[in-house]
Amino acid sequence: MKTNAFSKTYNGRTVLTLPALELPTGQITAVIGPNGSGKSTFAKILAGIERTDDKKPILSGISVGYLPQKSFPFRMSTEKNILQNGKNLSRATKLMKMLGIDHLAKQSAKKLSGGESARMALCRILMRPYDLLILDEPTTAMDMESTLVAEKLIRQTSREQGCALVLITHSISQARRIADRVIVLHQGQFIEQGQSVQVLSKPKQEKTKHFLEFYGL
Amino acid sequence: MGSSIRKAVELILSADPELLNILSTTARVCLSSSILALIIGVPLGILFGAERFPGRRVLLVLNRTLIGMPPVVCGLLFYMLFSGVGPFRHLHLLFTVKLMIIAQVVLITPIIIGVMETFVADTAPALRETARGLGFGRMKEYRLLINECLYSIFSSYLLSFARAIAEVGAVAMVGGAIAWKTNVMTTAIMMYTNRGSFTLGIALGLILLSLSLLVNIILSVMQGRLSR
Repeated sequence: MKTNAFSKTYNGRTVLTLPALELPTGQITAVIGPNGSGKSTFAKILAGIERTDDKKPILSGISVGYLPQKSFPFRMSTEKNILQNGKNLSRATKLMKMLGIDHLAKQSAKKLSGGESARMALCRILMRPYDLLILDEPTTAMDMESTLVAEKLIRQTSREQGCALVLITHSISQARRIADRVIVLHQGQFIEQGQSVQVLSKPKQEKTKHFLEFYGL
Repeated sequence: MGSSIRKAVELILSADPELLNILSTTARVCLSSSILALIIGVPLGILFGAERFPGRRVLLVLNRTLIGMPPVVCGLLFYMLFSGVGPFRHLHLLFTVKLMIIAQVVLITPIIIGVMETFVADTAPALRETARGLGFGRMKEYRLLINECLYSIFSSYLLSFARAIAEVGAVAMVGGAIAWKTNVMTTAIMMYTNRGSFTLGIALGLILLSLSLLVNIILSVMQGRLSR
């Protein structure tokens, strides 16, 4: 699928300008860039949560799932939270087991720790298929072990459901581990895109090189 | 003080008809007004907190002004509207329990709106982003938001009930503190004090405090269960 070109302005300041972008189905596209580069704004516009300057959707006619950076735990048990997005209890149980929160199924989601809450939110968004799935830093609050399990699950979902998956991340190593493609943003501008191996190993643009050097890669 | 407590216990145990009448009128006025205020205030508070529409800020400022409205001013307003020269005189509501309830609803609804608006304005954006991200419709989004609000609904009810049971200015003006008709605990305390019956006044005050304590304990237990 392909997005339309768009720009986003807040209080007279243009914070994001992007050309038309390709989001291949069955693949993971990581959006990387330093803080303030517009990654989360891009995710929100893609999800239809925020509008572009011309008020037109950049994608249409597809189902979109979006996991915000700080997903909200509803005031109910962990299991009921997950079942809000689909009634398939066996899938919910399977997801909870995979992410190691099955023992917290009956516990109030409000009482989960940051990492547990992030795992619950990931289970919840993976309960049903979407044409486009956007995950905004889904593993930031998780420990390394949970992060690796979550990445495996994200990859599996992308392959099995054949959806286009957009992963917003500030972790270059995470992009390297699971992304098929990479889009690089810097100060609200598109820098480059391509196969992750190519962009992360042999970047064409200077800004990408600086960004990767900064992260020691 | 000791004799007042003894007197209060005696009054309750003897099921004094006048006391029972005052208690039932108080219960009628406070429960009716607080429940009506809850029914009106909760949806408005949620609306003001969750939605952005033209005039919202003006309405919020107006509501905050109404929160601070002195009860006697409210009473005076209703007195003027429903007295013999007022535009609503034909309704014959002055010095009735009905008008006391209406006046209290006007006094306490802004409190409920204020509490709900503050909570919802803080909660709604994150909840909405998550709900929309999951592809939920507006109805489901609101159901989840109301579920988040249950604790605040109880808190606002506690506040409004406390104000209703302690309020004297408005109910005295529009009710007239007529014995066996519109006399509530607070107006009765004033009446007995004016007559010099301090013991009876203190006894009623103690009953009022005990009632308020009892209702608050019951609601706090329910609130505690909701927050789990």
